[in-house]
Amino acid sequence: MKIIVRLLAAFALAATGLATPNFASAQEKTAIRDGFEFPQDRRARVLLFRPSIKVGAQSTGGMFEPRAEWTEAARVNIEAALDSYQVNLGHVVVEQPETFGYDAQLVREYQALFGAVARSVIDYQFFIGNRLETKKQDNREDKFRWSLGPGVADLPGAENADYVLFINTEDHYGSTGRKILQVLAAASVGYGVKSGLHAGYAGLVDLKTGDVLWINADYAMGGDVREAEGAEKRVRQLLEEFPLASEGAETQR
Amino acid sequence: MRLLRFGKLGLALAAACAASAPLQADDFAVPPYEGAYQPQGEDERGLWMMADEDERLLRDSRLVITDEALNEYVRGVLCRTIGEDRCGSVRLYILRVPYFNASMAPNGTMRVYSGLLLRVRNEAELASVLGHEFAHFELRHTLWGFKRARTGSDLVAWTTLLGAMAASYGGATSSSGADIQTSVLGTIYRYKRDHERAADLLGFGYLANAGYRASAAADVWRGVMNESDRSAEIRGRRTNRYDSVAFFASHPTDLERADTLSYFANRVQGGEREGSDAYREAMAPWREEFLKDQLMLGDFGASDFLIERLAGEQWSPDLLYARAELYRGRGNPRDLVASADFYRDALKQDPDLANAYRGLGLALLRTGNRTAGSEAIKIYLDRVPNAEDAGMLRMMMEQ
Amino acid sequence: MNITTRMRWFALGTLAAVAATQPLAAHKLREAGVTVEVAKSDLTVTPSVAWNRLNPRTGKDNETWTLDGEELNDVTFYGQVEEGKTLLLEVDKRNRPLPRFSDTMLLTDIPPMLETTYRIARDLRLFEITGMEPAELSGHKAIRFTYEFVGPDEVRRKGEADAAIVDGALYMMTYEAPQIFFFDQSLEKYRQLRDSMALG
Repeated sequence: MKIIVRLLAAFALAATGLATPNFASAQEKTAIRDGFEFPQDRRARVLLFRPSIKVGAQSTGGMFEPRAEWTEAARVNIEAALDSYQVNLGHVVVEQPETFGYDAQLVREYQALFGAVARSVIDYQFFIGNRLETKKQDNREDKFRWSLGPGVADLPGAENADYVLFINTEDHYGSTGRKILQVLAAASVGYGVKSGLHAGYAGLVDLKTGDVLWINADYAMGGDVREAEGAEKRVRQLLEEFPLASEGAETQR
Repeated sequence: MRLLRFGKLGLALAAACAASAPLQADDFAVPPYEGAYQPQGEDERGLWMMADEDERLLRDSRLVITDEALNEYVRGVLCRTIGEDRCGSVRLYILRVPYFNASMAPNGTMRVYSGLLLRVRNEAELASVLGHEFAHFELRHTLWGFKRARTGSDLVAWTTLLGAMAASYGGATSSSGADIQTSVLGTIYRYKRDHERAADLLGFGYLANAGYRASAAADVWRGVMNESDRSAEIRGRRTNRYDSVAFFASHPTDLERADTLSYFANRVQGGEREGSDAYREAMAPWREEFLKDQLMLGDFGASDFLIERLAGEQWSPDLLYARAELYRGRGNPRDLVASADFYRDALKQDPDLANAYRGLGLALLRTGNRTAGSEAIKIYLDRVPNAEDAGMLRMMMEQ
Repeated sequence: MNITTRMRWFALGTLAAVAATQPLAAHKLREAGVTVEVAKSDLTVTPSVAWNRLNPRTGKDNETWTLDGEELNDVTFYGQVEEGKTLLLEVDKRNRPLPRFSDTMLLTDIPPMLETTYRIARDLRLFEITGMEPAELSGHKAIRFTYEFVGPDEVRRKGEADAAIVDGALYMMTYEAPQIFFFDQSLEKYRQLRDSMALG
């Protein structure tokens, strides 16, 4: 627990009386690609995959251990919440066709890649105090340029859609995170008062270019996804700033 | 006292009897087969469903060895041990996982790891483990104390040390949300002591019926425990605990375990069948690969012990080669000298073992014997001109 | 680094930022055209585009550069790794120690050393060396090798590395990125860095 010691030392320093701004609220969580606008003349088709969901516990050794029962519960809850929330997405939601074998594998690979991009956006463009200089420059110029690459056109169902909406959640319930974050909570820094990790990433991607047009990404989202109400809260939080009007979407399957 | 029924009552009786009375010959009796078991009640059905879902993922996994000959052989040993009737309820999967383990799920899925096939030396030893696992299944132990989690740190460690042939796990969850890794590798059930004893008794019953040498069971356990000890010793650690070994996470074990098995073995009317030759023959096409997987674990003590145990009285070229690779991998000055000797010994027995020339050459180069090392590598390249590292080897000879 | 480690560093950085009114974990810009020393050794490189050097280091003798974040593109320099040193920081020294460099090692011993190091330190699911060939690093004989791996985040990655052993010490550069889109995207930029490398 060397990290804890250093944290406490830093905290002690901080306690010598400097103002503690609320970093949580100061941090960006969403972004839109500069210049992006949905076409107004027609309804855009949004491909929606079954979300990537991971739920587990943090062992004392700091390792993440997936928990099947929790993940199953979360899946049922999140999918139900998403089903009822879809009407708010506007436009035509095209659901993922049944996939097997190679196609299913490809979807999983893109979901994993989207997760990596989302984390990079949070870490290196959003998070104050951790931004890369090159990303700071982008921020100054109002640029948001991230992409998964044009290979997204190979995703199953891409031929029937204009955009794809990725949704990933990852929840770690555990002791290590809790200790650190309780220290932070005590310092009133406001970052992630909840214990562990409760990450959610939602991203709208252009199926022709792979460009990320809109993203909402955060490591400290609300709602216990193992419960129906918590999952609803999480889905709302993920999609509340989806850049579309909410006039009754059609869902195509 | 006969094991009359398979309910909790039957087991409790059996346990009570076993604990209080000395063993009788018919304690090992195998009861008549009662037909395929069906799950009863919501909990059991739920467990079966999860096990079925796991099996679906397992079937598609690249970790499964599908080779017909190997599967037929291992299944053959299993069926001879538990009888054809019982064998019908088992679906056997051999997984390319370099750890000693075998397990059964409540729905009849049996997983045997390649690490187990590498370590046992004959059919009797294999039969003793498979029989023991099936006994847990027959006695419905797998339905109790169900724990759907990964335990046994070597199993967790293994997932970071698997070779190129391993599965890619793709998405984090299956459609039911199960962790694919757990589904494919199998859940670790931790059996209680009285379950262990009951499974031992029934397991020995199977062995005896099949005519196998019952003391093989003690040999296997002793071997795995000694390997664990040697592994710890080389790392400079002292331990009497075996929890880090996946198999022992299921079967709590202590220093007396092998003795207990010997004790049982001496009291059952067993046979003398060992099947060493048949076993060696069946494993011949696989040993080199399984040994390579083992070496990749980077556990010097365990690998050294294991190779020695396999050699027994007689060192075959493939074991000498494996030993040479092991020592060269650790790479201390004395190891390099020893490894060169092992490669030479392997070549004496099998002059066609081209890879040994490569290893010998590299060991010699590392000890500074440039001339001899280059000569050996040259021989290797003559025999395998399209080797993947041919370019590198040529460059290294030039220096 | 994995998500848990990252979270810990965020926490640290956040508090330290509060304390110092300046980010502790600031990543440094590496400007195009400016020759810089890397990995606290006598290795230098001259980037052709602007890169970012990441804090903290993942090993005592290394340094990581990135364009978009180490999960998307990761160039790591290892400088003067001497006898007995590991490539990365130990994660479980007692039970699963990392391999150590030995000055008698041959170039062909370096890929397996990287493989075992990664398997342990990065909790990999899968690792495979896909090719190797002789090369040159700043006039010294080197090994160039390629590999693929999958970690706990389930992202399939490709790697390309160059390593040389000079005066009994290891010098190495690795480039790793997701196989989909990102590896090819920055491969040329990595190779420019590699070709600009000078030792001594």
